[in-house]
Amino acid sequence: MALDTKGPPPDTSPIVIPDLAGDDDFREFGMAEHPRGGFHGLLEVIPTRADLVLDLIRANSLWPLLSGLSCCAIEMMSSATSKNDIDRFGMFPFRASPRQADVLIVAGTLTTKMAGPLVRLWEQMPEPKWCVAMGTCTTSGGRFKRSYSVVQGVDRLMPVDVYVPGCPPRPEGLIYGMLRLRELVLQRRGEWPTYVDRGPQRSNWEGDVT
Amino acid sequence: MADLRRPRPAAKQLGRRRDLSAPAGALVRLLLDRFADLAPTVWTDEDTVEVRIDGERNVEVLARLRDDPELNFFMLADAAAVDYGPTEHFEVVYHLYSDLHPAWLRVRARVDRADPHLPTITGLWEGASFHEREMYDMMGIVFDGSRDLRRIYMSPDYRSFPQRKDFLLPDDAADSPAAGVDPLERPETWDLSRFVEAATSSEAES
Amino acid sequence: MTSEVRIPDPLHPERTEEARLRAAAGLAPAPSTGGEYAGFESVGLPDRPPQTEREREVYTLDEGEMLVNIGPQHPSTHGVMRLVAKVRGEVVVDIDPVLGYLHRGIEKLCENATYTTVMTYVDPMDYLSSMHNEHAPAIAFEKLYGVKAPRRAEYIRALVVELNRVFSHGLMMGFQALDMGGLTPILYAFINRDEVVDLLASISGQRMLFNFFRVGGVNFDANDEFFSRLGTWRAGVLKTIEMNERILTDNEIFRGRTIGMGVLSGSEAMALGVTGPSLRASGVPFDVRKAHPYSIYSELEFEVITHTGGDVYARYLQRVAEIKQSIHLIDQIVDKMPHGPVQAQVPGIIRPKPGRAYAAVESPRGLYSVYAISDGGPNPYRFRMRDPSFVSLQAMPKLMPGRLIADTMAVMASFDPVMGGVDK
Ligand code: SF4
Repeated sequence: MALDTKGPPPDTSPIVIPDLAGDDDFREFGMAEHPRGGFHGLLEVIPTRADLVLDLIRANSLWPLLSGLSCCAIEMMSSATSKNDIDRFGMFPFRASPRQADVLIVAGTLTTKMAGPLVRLWEQMPEPKWCVAMGTCTTSGGRFKRSYSVVQGVDRLMPVDVYVPGCPPRPEGLIYGMLRLRELVLQRRGEWPTYVDRGPQRSNWEGDVT
Repeated sequence: MADLRRPRPAAKQLGRRRDLSAPAGALVRLLLDRFADLAPTVWTDEDTVEVRIDGERNVEVLARLRDDPELNFFMLADAAAVDYGPTEHFEVVYHLYSDLHPAWLRVRARVDRADPHLPTITGLWEGASFHEREMYDMMGIVFDGSRDLRRIYMSPDYRSFPQRKDFLLPDDAADSPAAGVDPLERPETWDLSRFVEAATSSEAES
Repeated sequence: MTSEVRIPDPLHPERTEEARLRAAAGLAPAPSTGGEYAGFESVGLPDRPPQTEREREVYTLDEGEMLVNIGPQHPSTHGVMRLVAKVRGEVVVDIDPVLGYLHRGIEKLCENATYTTVMTYVDPMDYLSSMHNEHAPAIAFEKLYGVKAPRRAEYIRALVVELNRVFSHGLMMGFQALDMGGLTPILYAFINRDEVVDLLASISGQRMLFNFFRVGGVNFDANDEFFSRLGTWRAGVLKTIEMNERILTDNEIFRGRTIGMGVLSGSEAMALGVTGPSLRASGVPFDVRKAHPYSIYSELEFEVITHTGGDVYARYLQRVAEIKQSIHLIDQIVDKMPHGPVQAQVPGIIRPKPGRAYAAVESPRGLYSVYAISDGGPNPYRFRMRDPSFVSLQAMPKLMPGRLIADTMAVMASFDPVMGGVDK
């Protein structure tokens, strides 16, 4: 598979809310002007307000996708079983199908051969979705940095929300990372951007061997 | 059994010899008896006896080692390839186990690097198939007669053979030969097309 | 003697009947109708002409057959492996394992690392038995360098290696049940596993990829605290194991699905290169600890356990028996543990004389061996690892034809492959 590591440049432009100011039709319905432009109103507010509530629910039941890649997957499983029990935070049901999952925990070394299937899994997950990079292999290539068949950091392929370093991270580390993700979801409540058009988060890495 | 430790006329050619245990000595004597022509290549250390052969002869020698009731090397423990550098040769190394001799037997088969062809041993041990696929994938050694010789680790359109010594890993040091190599987009170190040609022509014949 | 259960072909009942009649009449089997080459796109592989005879055979479909992908992302493939199954209805006709989804080039990295750092690279290979992964290179490098580990180091090595075997086989019991749809045993297995890895972490400092062995010894000595924790663990270890046994061994459903399933005879297993518990479950008493005693195993008392069934159930029983054997060995090792140093005098960067060494150990999955060549430099010239689960996977295409798709996972779990080792 030819890997497009360069990708399109990241779109850093701010989220544009259609500028409807001046259109008196909307003021008639009693909509207030949004501080960032556009209108808080019947048409726009409903999804936003709904997300404000829905994200509370999402944050408390983040369902990860069961996709262990290698060693880190064992610690991921360990965090789901009796002793560590990530279920306490509503995160247990590891879904076998990407269509039912919220979080992709990339647990393990990502190789060039597996990169295609993993991106496909990520694309099959419905929005909103989050990605956690578990282990040094997925954050940067880790001990396989020099290898000829390892993708050096999963953030070359998909946007990552939380990095959990360690080789492997302890289950407690993963749980901490997932709790940070929960905070993140709550912080971004109602205004997270979608990942659809963003492309790879970083196309080039400082310190890359190019 | 102590007399085995005395230097013997045939065993003089054994080269560096450390602490030859009695059972390994019995194996060496048997090997010298059965394979008189290989005598100069027999070598041993404390728990391994080694024989060097020509690549073409691997099936014949291994079959005799396996089927001889006194040798009885019925188990293929390992099959691996070694690259001795761009100007040297390849070697395919078989490690065998026998319940009669408490020593590993290592058979080193020499392969030409410019034309790395070798008969397959899947007829003797079916389980050699994956080993041979791995050697083909990593080193580019072609096993004639194998039913399933294709890449096993890298994707089928990969063009290089990563475990050859002229395949360099990326390095940070600017004066290293591998400086500035992108680890994911490797230059070709070997052209696969000649193997594809060979495979298709043999298909046409069959 | 277990009778072979053949499931009748649901789509073409007359096909098998015809074959039976022909065989009874002494006729040659009917020539194939000449299937159609399906190509690789149907299972998401790059489309290209078939490269080998075997590939053409698998990807050529007769009437009523189709190709199904199992993996690479599948909850019970033990990692990222892809099995391309040719099925007719529910019945598997052929299986082609597609590997390489976790190929990390560890051998090449090891050839570029010093002898001490090789230990960190081999850890993530077979990640359920990292201690065994380090044991074989340690022995091989000691042979190359001509240094011997002190006796206490050898005993500590044997101790941690057997501890590792206990949790690896324990997890196998759990995964075996999980792949057949039972969730409970894996919870008990992980309780046991977490206890053992905490114990190993207290001696090595790491929970999973221990990086504990050194050329000429081990990294840390076992102190009194470790031994007292070991005693506590030893007192309670059989509880979780027996809990799992009680759930599985006499379970009607478990027995019904595993007895007579995936029968591998001893000679077949030998030809395929299957080693370890899977080979011993077929009745072949081959155990590297007895066949080529390394470390201190010649000083310990144990017998090679075998089972005769050769099926999934026998392989499961074999693991259970070996857990108990390992615990027995741990008792002996702790009894005999000598005092003394745990590390021989070895420089930081070692440069062995040119030579070659082969070392094999019995890992929970079978014969794990290392072949190292030194050219006098600070890193191995060639470093080769033979992983047992890589070789055992070849049994899958032999065992599955004529079985149901759902049993594929049961048979695969019984070989207990670990993809990190398979793909290196
Ligand atoms: S970070 Fe470490 S434990 Fe995790 S996949 Fe990589 S090597 Fe394995």
